[in-house]
Formats: sequence, structure tokens, C-alpha cells
Amino acid sequence: MELDQRVRWVVYDVTMREGAPPLASQLATLLDMPLDDVRASLQRLASARMLVMQEGEILMAGPFSAVPTPFRVTTSEFSCYGNCIWDALGIAAMLQSDVEITTSCGDCGAAMRVAVRGGVVAGDGLMHFALPARQWWQDVVFT
Amino acid sequence: MLLFRSEEHVDRWCATWRLPKGAVLSLKQGWDLARVWYGEDRRDPAWRRRTLEETEAVFAELGFTSESWNLR
Repeated sequence: MELDQRVRWVVYDVTMREGAPPLASQLATLLDMPLDDVRASLQRLASARMLVMQEGEILMAGPFSAVPTPFRVTTSEFSCYGNCIWDALGIAAMLQSDVEITTSCGDCGAAMRVAVRGGVVAGDGLMHFALPARQWWQDVVFT
Repeated sequence: MLLFRSEEHVDRWCATWRLPKGAVLSLKQGWDLARVWYGEDRRDPAWRRRTLEETEAVFAELGFTSESWNLR
């Protein structure tokens, strides 16, 4: 397995088991690699749009967020955060797990809940994609 | 991508932030997209991002044909 594939494997292995992407220093320990080499690999993965980095750390390992967001996802194992409502659903898809999503209306702030159980989504509401698909990566944090 | 209580709330949010209205999906449509997009195991060394053409095919298969989904 090539270096970047190994790094990606560990990033997603940790993320899918713990609910949040690992720190670069954790990856260096897990991979027994120098931190600078880990950061260089993460940057290559980010350039290939497989991760989003911020100040040398993983901000997004889609669909998971490294920081709290308005899209809290609870599984039977842990609670974590999606980057947006689509990613919150994506966590259920990636884990193949039932989830409860706690969020709020983007307009009025009213609390909203969405569930995925047995591969079926339940809840009310509409998802709005503010940017056209071709612009998603121009400002991925806003997207 | 945000969740809204109704189309009326989407419209008000767009007006508030002076943004053009984008694609609006039901939760079912969004779940269908999430399953395709994120359903693969990204630990797999063979995993790669979809090409533009493959992404277009996903959108077409899901019936997402409006300008919001045009990648070119």
C-alpha cells in the first residue's frame, strides 16, 4: 500500500471508530512516521480533495467534522458531527448504522431531528444546496 | 447544506443572505445521494474520488438534472 493510501486508511479507520478525525500527531504515532511526513501526506490528500485541512490538522474527513457543527449525529457507539445535513446523513451511510441527527432550521433556528433506521430516513424538512455542484469545492467550508 | 422546515423558510433564508436559491431536496432524496456518495469504504486502497463523468452519472441516475447539478 502506498504511503498516502496508508495514511488515508488510518485516518478513516480512526474516524469511523471514534467519530472524529485524528490529530496529525496521533497519525504519526499510529503510523510510526515523522510528523512532517504525515503532514505532507495529509496535504497531498487535501490537494486531491479527499480531506480538508486547517492549520496543519484535518478539519474534515468527509462526511465527518473535526470540530462541533450544527449537525450532531448520534450512533449506538458515539456522538459526532457532520459538516452539513448531507454529511450528517453520509455518516449513517458510511457507518451503515442507525443514527439520530440533531440540527435546527437554517432560517428560524427551530430544533429539528432526523433519524436513519434500518436504511430508511425519517423526519421532516428540506435540504437546500446553496451553491451549484460545480462550485462546491471553491469554498468547501461555506458549502 | 442546511436543513429547513419548509420551502418558505428556504426562500426567507435566501432573501436574508441575498443568495440565489439553489437545489432543494427532500430528506429521502438527500439520503439517496448520501448513500451513493458516502456508501463506499474510503479505507479501501482502491477507493478514489469520482471523475466528473461518473459524478454526472450519479446525479442523472438520481434525477438531479437542474442547472444546480450541472458540473460544466
